[in-house]
Amino acid sequence: MIYSSKYVIDANNIVKIYQNGSEELKVLDNVSIKVSKGDFMAILGPSGSGKSTLMNILGCLDLPTSGQYYLDGLDVLKASENELAEVRNKKIGFIFQKFNLLPRLTAMQNVMLPLLYRGVDEEEAGELAKEKLTILGLGARLHHRPNELSGGQQQRVAIARAIVGSPQLLLADEPTGNLDSKSSREVMEIFKELNQQGNTILIITHDAEVAGQVKKIVHIRDGKVYENN
Amino acid sequence: MQLTQLLKLVLINITQNKVRTFLTTLGVIVGTATIFLVVAIGKGGEARVNEQYSKLNVGTIIVMGSHRGRIVDPLTKKDAELFLKSENIAQAFPILRGSGNITFNNYSTTGNFIAIQPEFQRSNNLTAQQGRSLDKEDEQKRNKAAVVGAELANTLTDGYPSEIVGQTISINNRRLTVVGIYNRVGDSGSGMSYDDAVFVPYSVGEKFLLGTRANPVINVQATSMDTVQAAISDITNILDETHRAGGADQFRILDAGSRLAAAQESARTMSLLLLAVAVVVLIVSGIGIMNVMFVTVKERTREIGTLKAIGAKKREILGQFLIEAVIISLTGGIIGVAAGFLALPVLSCFELTALPSLSGVLLGLIFSVVTGVFFGFYPAWKAADLSPLEALRYE
Repeated sequence: MIYSSKYVIDANNIVKIYQNGSEELKVLDNVSIKVSKGDFMAILGPSGSGKSTLMNILGCLDLPTSGQYYLDGLDVLKASENELAEVRNKKIGFIFQKFNLLPRLTAMQNVMLPLLYRGVDEEEAGELAKEKLTILGLGARLHHRPNELSGGQQQRVAIARAIVGSPQLLLADEPTGNLDSKSSREVMEIFKELNQQGNTILIITHDAEVAGQVKKIVHIRDGKVYENN
Repeated sequence: MQLTQLLKLVLINITQNKVRTFLTTLGVIVGTATIFLVVAIGKGGEARVNEQYSKLNVGTIIVMGSHRGRIVDPLTKKDAELFLKSENIAQAFPILRGSGNITFNNYSTTGNFIAIQPEFQRSNNLTAQQGRSLDKEDEQKRNKAAVVGAELANTLTDGYPSEIVGQTISINNRRLTVVGIYNRVGDSGSGMSYDDAVFVPYSVGEKFLLGTRANPVINVQATSMDTVQAAISDITNILDETHRAGGADQFRILDAGSRLAAAQESARTMSLLLLAVAVVVLIVSGIGIMNVMFVTVKERTREIGTLKAIGAKKREILGQFLIEAVIISLTGGIIGVAAGFLALPVLSCFELTALPSLSGVLLGLIFSVVTGVFFGFYPAWKAADLSPLEALRYE
């Protein structure tokens, strides 16, 4: 079920209801959101607004109760578990608040991982990982483990891991949430540059300052989205 | 992901957690070493039984007075002659057995002596390695001649058996001349080691050593292996005839073939028993693996979430943890087999015969891997089955 679309994300009437005993909690209430190729967008909302749930659904980590969601033209809700794993591997690059690097792997091994899961051979994956890390200023840290790197460096490794497979969408969940202000600025600069190179970026944040640096903001409150450019 | 990559990932995880890996492996090491040693001991035991009985003529039947109570009506030389009338019996020799102090020079030991007719030697493979064996003349003239078993000759001379030939020994203070030493024959099948005994002519034993205490055992050779049972029933009938007071029931009739079978059977039972113990050890170590794998999966829940977020499929996570369990158990298996080899000399200190064998090595390794797969599967499945979202949220 693939059709050509100018949207990377085309989500309509997304509803997510959590059942808490007999109580129903409507976390997302008919959310529709479209992200075009080359967009640099932030979803801004306070905690409890439903933004994390939205990000999990858009990142194919969770399924909505009802609605429609096309990611790069693929009907995600009809995909099997294995197909979803492939979607996450090829179409999405995740950047987490806590970096989520594998502690026992070196920076380079961490970055190679998405390619290895795709079946790329080790040599090619290594070359690409080295290239991305060098671009992000970590050429001298290729064989360091995460605990030997600063927070800002770790997040740059995570960004390298997200972009190494050239995904259609970079999905960042509070990417500066665990960083000092200097590192935060650096990370936002990297995002801007990646966007200028044509990457589609969606940042989920509660930080208005972060949101202020993107091209387009979507507000989310009590499970509903409000757009204003 | 390619298998080699998955393997590398697992090796990184294992080698960076050496203490945990070692502790998990320990149980498997012990289990595999136990299996290997048990198989070796079992093989050794079987080999020992086979060696012990290798010189034994399976057509041999021993008729002796029962140990229960006193024999009112002992066997006689005449019974042996009567047995020969059966068409199933080729030979029948009465032998006398006794024990007492055997002295050579100043060395004295308690031992057995056996009084035999010369034909007995041939049918029991007793040949002289030094000097000569007993002959008809010794029997007829009641020569006070003795032939010593190989082991006893060693004992009496403190390792220089040839010194004893031609010398005088005494049995219960009665002096005899040693005319020869027999070759080693192993177990006789009658529960008495010939290698540890002194042999004298039957007539000498009867008149000179035992006198009225003479109570012969009759050593019978069936015409062939297949006639052993028929021979036994003939013997029973004859004894019922000639010993009317107590009949054949007061005697014990043993055949060597059944003894061999029984010994082999008990050796096998022993190894099976030990094997069962080894399997229990491995099961316990398997539960250990399972525990550690569960803890590992819990510890790495967030990692598993991350791996799923960047595209790991269920089967790749399952494979990763299963390979980890198998590598841990296989490593333990290999170390265990090596430890088993190192422990072999220790076993010989306890006079256990152990024969290392390829089948023991393979059995140990197979069991260790099976343990890894079996007990690693459930934790690995739990890991693979985690929802990526739940796993990522896990603190």
